[in-house]
Amino acid sequence: MPALFLNLLKLIFLALIYLFLWQVARSIGNHVGAPQASRSGKRVGEMVVVRSDTIAGDRFPIGAPAVMGRSDEADIVIDDPYASDFHVRVGLQDGTVLANDLGSTNGTYVNGRRVTVPTPLIRGDSLQIGKTILEVR
Amino acid sequence: MTRSAEAALLVTAGVVAAFGTALVGFTRGVGLDAQVALTFLVFVGAFGSVHLALRRWAPSANPYVFPLAAFLTAIGLTEVYRLDPNLGSIQRWSLLIAGVVASGVIFLLRGDGVVILRRYRYLFLAAGVALLMLPLLPSTWALHGIEANGSRLWVGIDLPGSRSLSFQPGEIAKLCLAIFLASYLADYHLAMGTTRRRIGRLDVPPLRQFGPILLAAGAAFAVLVYQRDLGASLLLFALFVGAIYLATGKLAYIAFGGVLVFVGGLVSYQAFSHVQRRVAAWLDPFADFSDTGYQVAQGLFALGSGSLTGSGIGQGRPDLIPAAATDFIFAAVAEEMGLAGAIAVIAAFALLVAAGFGIALHTRDLFRKFLAACLTLVLAVQALLILAGVLRLFPITGITLPFMSYGGTSLVANMVLLALLARISHGARS
Repeated sequence: MPALFLNLLKLIFLALIYLFLWQVARSIGNHVGAPQASRSGKRVGEMVVVRSDTIAGDRFPIGAPAVMGRSDEADIVIDDPYASDFHVRVGLQDGTVLANDLGSTNGTYVNGRRVTVPTPLIRGDSLQIGKTILEVR
Repeated sequence: MTRSAEAALLVTAGVVAAFGTALVGFTRGVGLDAQVALTFLVFVGAFGSVHLALRRWAPSANPYVFPLAAFLTAIGLTEVYRLDPNLGSIQRWSLLIAGVVASGVIFLLRGDGVVILRRYRYLFLAAGVALLMLPLLPSTWALHGIEANGSRLWVGIDLPGSRSLSFQPGEIAKLCLAIFLASYLADYHLAMGTTRRRIGRLDVPPLRQFGPILLAAGAAFAVLVYQRDLGASLLLFALFVGAIYLATGKLAYIAFGGVLVFVGGLVSYQAFSHVQRRVAAWLDPFADFSDTGYQVAQGLFALGSGSLTGSGIGQGRPDLIPAAATDFIFAAVAEEMGLAGAIAVIAAFALLVAAGFGIALHTRDLFRKFLAACLTLVLAVQALLILAGVLRLFPITGITLPFMSYGGTSLVANMVLLALLARISHGARS
């Protein structure tokens, strides 16, 4: 029965088309759902001070959100006259490393651009606080 | 990991194309022949080279744009091959060339990426305008314009040995103009976004800021008059107005563009018979069934006879539609693959456009952000115009359905467009 055979092939072809679309949809779902760090394939681990008069070379691990600033009460003390007492909060939130400016006087810059809303950081990004620059690694 | 997913999806698209070719063979009574293997190999070759180029030079690029394009190409190629095996095999070669060219673009932009394009803004504007005007060259020259179906949008090159090569420069011009627009708006979007007055709920920018839109309208009108090409004209204008709106967020530009389209439409309806014929065929294709309305009416018959799962590839009569392999490829697909196939095509286009705008949203750098948006806009508007034309929601405009219509230039240009999008999405955040 060639007609029956052809009809069967027609339906298999359509099934194949939708199999492809389903694969794409599922794959996009995985892609969107994956946390930022593993999505780019590189784990964010620490921040290294790359420019500073006093604390160059210091390393700070990135974990739970920590407040960075000039005050002694900040979780990470940034010795920089242009930094605010409580300048920025940096840490993992829902699998993403976010930098959240705390209303600092001189602003927080990510890759040279001033950020005022929580901004995700990935490996290689630079974070500027006052005149101090840190690199995410 | 995502690149492996991309590879799997690309292979699946190749299987779809090979399966479609096999179905055409069965209904022709030739059974499984070498064409099936050839189709699969061409798919693996074309998209495999793009995939390897991405792995090598843009590993974190968006992994969905090329598989979706491969899927659309697979369905389009199957239907083109079914309508005319000769066109199908030419289209296969075009696909191979398109794959190599797209890989070449990814290679060329491997260092700084597309950022270098920003510097050559006016070069791209000049190239775009020159390409748009190319079909106006006299027919006797070695490089000459060709008039086909009442429109002058082809250019032929006479090669030694009385052979000739023809291409559609407008398809490449849209890429050049998108690059120009993105670069221009990246520098001037703030100036264009300033407003002084409000009319009702609309922020109205000062008059001179409408200059670029008027310029675009003039160019679009010139294309309509001299090349009698409604599709390219509307695409050009929609790209300009859409891009300015995306960059400034001011609805006034869209409103102004809409008014211009309305006025321009009325004027050209009065002045040009080719526009009148298109509109008449749109409003009532059955009034002049045997002449002006024939194509649209046959398209509607094809859409209607498709039902849910279609007649099956090779078992319908999409060959009755004039220009079934180019402008009306969607009607042919809807007839032979049914509503199921047609919706799959529209879903793939929707996903592709969503991926494109997603890339634009995730890009920090303004030029690349605008470029991704402009390129996606080109793809979206082009698909919308021709799909709406085939579905009789809009007069038929005679432009290609990206990746699906028969046409080498269109395929190459759209693959380059995706290569640019993919390159932007790699390292989008820096």
